[in-house]
Amino acid sequence: MSSKAALKRIQLIPELQKKYNIFTHIENSVAEKVLPDDSNDSNAPLSHLVTGIKDNIVTYDMPTTCGSKILLDYISPFDATCVKLLRDAGALLVGKTNLDEFGMGSAGTHSHFGPVRNPLFPNENVVAGGSSSGSAAAVAAGAVDFALGTDTGGSVRLPAAYTSILGFKPSYGRISRYGVIAYAQSLDTVGILAKDLSLLRKVFRVLDKYDEKDPTSLDNELRAAISNRCIKRNTYKIGIPREFIQGSLTKELAKELTEPLSNFLKKLLQQGHELYPVSIPSTKFALPIYFTISPAEAASNLARYDGIRYGTRSEKNDLEDGTFFSSTRDAFGQVVKDRLVLGNYSLCSETFKDSYIRAQKLRVKIIDEFDSIFRFPNLLTGSEGNAYGLDLILGLTNDGLPQSIDYYNEKKISSPTNEYKNDIFVTPMSLAGLPVISFPLLKGKPLGIQIAGQYGDDSTVLDACSLLVDRDN
Amino acid sequence: MWVFRRFNHTHFPQISEFRLLPQYKLKCGLEIHTQLDTRNKLFSMSTNDPFHSANNPNLHTSFFDIALPGTQPLLNYEAVLFATKLAIALNCRVNLDSQFDRKHYFYGDQPLGYQITQHFSPFASQGHLPLYRDIDGIAEINKNIHVAQLQIEQDTGKSLYKKSEQITLIDLNRSGVPLIEMVTEPDFQDLGQIRAFIKKYQNLVRHLKISTGDLETGAIRVDVNLSINDHARVELKNLPNTSSILNAIKYEYLRQVRIIEDGMANKLLSQPETRGWTGSSTVKLRGKETTIDYRYMPDMELPRIKLASDVVETVRKTMPPSPDKVLNTLISEPYRLSLKDAKILCLNSNGQGEMYNHEELQQFYLDTFHSYAYRVKEGIRANNLSKLPTNWIIHELLGDLNKLELPLSKITKVLKPKIFADFLMLIHNNEISGASGKLLLFHVLKTLKETNCDACASIDFDSLIDEFDIRTINQIDDGELEEICQGIIESIKNEKLINDIASGKKKNSIKFLVGQGMKLSQGRIKAQDFEKSFKKVLDVKW
Repeated sequence: MSSKAALKRIQLIPELQKKYNIFTHIENSVAEKVLPDDSNDSNAPLSHLVTGIKDNIVTYDMPTTCGSKILLDYISPFDATCVKLLRDAGALLVGKTNLDEFGMGSAGTHSHFGPVRNPLFPNENVVAGGSSSGSAAAVAAGAVDFALGTDTGGSVRLPAAYTSILGFKPSYGRISRYGVIAYAQSLDTVGILAKDLSLLRKVFRVLDKYDEKDPTSLDNELRAAISNRCIKRNTYKIGIPREFIQGSLTKELAKELTEPLSNFLKKLLQQGHELYPVSIPSTKFALPIYFTISPAEAASNLARYDGIRYGTRSEKNDLEDGTFFSSTRDAFGQVVKDRLVLGNYSLCSETFKDSYIRAQKLRVKIIDEFDSIFRFPNLLTGSEGNAYGLDLILGLTNDGLPQSIDYYNEKKISSPTNEYKNDIFVTPMSLAGLPVISFPLLKGKPLGIQIAGQYGDDSTVLDACSLLVDRDN
Repeated sequence: MWVFRRFNHTHFPQISEFRLLPQYKLKCGLEIHTQLDTRNKLFSMSTNDPFHSANNPNLHTSFFDIALPGTQPLLNYEAVLFATKLAIALNCRVNLDSQFDRKHYFYGDQPLGYQITQHFSPFASQGHLPLYRDIDGIAEINKNIHVAQLQIEQDTGKSLYKKSEQITLIDLNRSGVPLIEMVTEPDFQDLGQIRAFIKKYQNLVRHLKISTGDLETGAIRVDVNLSINDHARVELKNLPNTSSILNAIKYEYLRQVRIIEDGMANKLLSQPETRGWTGSSTVKLRGKETTIDYRYMPDMELPRIKLASDVVETVRKTMPPSPDKVLNTLISEPYRLSLKDAKILCLNSNGQGEMYNHEELQQFYLDTFHSYAYRVKEGIRANNLSKLPTNWIIHELLGDLNKLELPLSKITKVLKPKIFADFLMLIHNNEISGASGKLLLFHVLKTLKETNCDACASIDFDSLIDEFDIRTINQIDDGELEEICQGIIESIKNEKLINDIASGKKKNSIKFLVGQGMKLSQGRIKAQDFEKSFKKVLDVKW
């Protein structure tokens, strides 16, 4: 990339921000940081690449708000490890991208800074998907070369599908979470959004490193063990789980999908890949499991926003109606409040066993089922892999087309679960920590196909994606 | 005032007159929080020194300790090692696969909004600590206190309430300091057992070098669970020292006895409650109706604490023998120390301003003893072997060190055990008298202090004895001695006393005369020789 290209993108930003509400913060001085093409440092792997960072990843020189009123003026004294790695690799950080508050949402409409608009529909008010809404829109609109998002239950893949770009969620633990503000950290994964796969892979190579500051970071021993077992293939055994296609597709989508999807599958067969129908029965519980575990973790993680150090505090009393800091915590948006209530309910001593523990057991069952269908071993669980198993599974990313922003505003009132349903195809891989990438079925269309591999087998997922996507486009 | 006093007398037997009543059985369990003396905090690299940094609030705080968003805990395995030692010393079963859990409640000095502790799968369980009448001073011959469990957890910060300004200051130096919570079974039946257990536990953690063990600094904090005749359990909190613990139990016992006698137990003692100690009474802090649901959940980012099966044995081998074992060794052959003296060599003081710790003292004692015993060989009855080492180390030397403010560790570089044994031999062989020995030892120590215990210096007792001319005179001419005695008798000018001694009316007063002789001879002539000579001069017949 050249300094000229970088400057061109940076110049576009104010205009794009006005149109799509992509950023929560724009770094105005970034143009001065663009190095001339002949500078020594311009050989850094990501030099002249413009990037946006999801605003739940901390940066020492820009505010980090999580799209929440409660962290409106918060500036972290340190950089997240992934941010530091990007800076060291020469990337240009142009700003922090808008998101659903604390990563909770699937449409990008629940931010204190207002909803993100989808650049695929420049003349309509269509959602960009969430929660990494600003990161997806930034890439789709051309404001950045790539962006960082976080994927807890689909938050990178869903907006990537809605904006027709690539969204990659690596295996859990591959990219350090140090500095990523926790929503549900047994699931939270830093992901990469881009249009170009080779660029995405280059960014991943920079970030795919063990970090001793993150207790859940994949250690070097396991990384080495995984790469020793990796086999490069030209054709793959690909499973299509019926649970990812059946049932919930809307009629209009099913009609629109049938032809391009069958064309795509035909092409796979022509390329020599083997396709198998498979069933991963427990994934039908993925949504309830996800919406039990993630709010419980969120209720715990967000307990620190208590009004002593964050947000505002009631002048009269910290304790109102038997609740501590209720006026402070009123700064949370409705979705966050809903999930805090739900999470605390799951953790109550009376319900804990029936909700949280049961969800954890089912989560293990999902992992076991994934282990039983993959050929690659799962070095975390100790599963040796199924010798006759699959290399990849393939399915849709979204079960519907992105709706208008107004639709969410109305629906939100009737029931929050309407929005939860958007995550139906994306949560199973999150629960199992699998590497998965979403790519557009058709260029410029808001329909994503996701392919996922066994835990740790990120390279197979990315290799396969380059075969499938490049030949298709 | 009068009303108050009357109230005190008629309704509450005074605490000072406290005794347990046989028809009201006391049952107690203890919950002890112990701050581990690790270098760093439990989940961060911050310095763990909350007590000494009290004047610098929030000095030892990392991003994690103040719960900044995006920070993560990293387990300090030194705390795990310390917990393993305590678990072994308390005869616990160590859980080779334990986990951390989150306990949620809001408090200003708890920045995460939850405490990281161990709830579902604690670090160790099913232990016990035996108490003995001889060693620990309980009423029974022995009593076993069972330990339900040990869990590793983080300490909270500290709130300083400024009532006049209506603000609370928060110091997070303590936030994240490693703690072990130890819970005993409700095995205690009287105050003596509780007092003995706390003392023994304090000594144990000091002995293991895992905690300062001080109640005063909050390094150890004790909560008490108490019930009478199996009524509902009451938890007593805010007990800053041993006397508060004991007084609170006494007060609460008497309060509950009165409730039972008034027939109100079904109403007032049917629900568990938590009470605090004000210094003079217990007051209700919360009852069952305001119980907090802590919403425990496994911590989702801290890895489980997995220990290899041989870790416990390996750690056990590195541990010093237990204080009880050392004590038993010292009171047995060949040392035969009294229990009181043995305790001085075994028990830790609180470490503040002391001139020695018990380990260096014990080592110095044992080395000196063996060096001395080797040289004395057959020349002494076995039961007398420890007399000189004990008198001269535990009593004389420690007294001198305190007087001179001289640490034991400094002087032993020059005054090595072997040299101290040389000194003991001088007394053993009667080359100098005890009185001269005291002067000589003090002089040597004082010189050591003045020369800053220069390691090159050597101590030559022989030439010092000659220099001060204090060598005992073994071969004294009887006539010469009688002359000295005659002189003393004349100089005291008390004919009646002399007559009474001579007649045997005041036999003991001859000691006075001997004393005068010792003074005059600066202890170089033996007391027995003086006594013999006085008797001869006075022609004593008795």
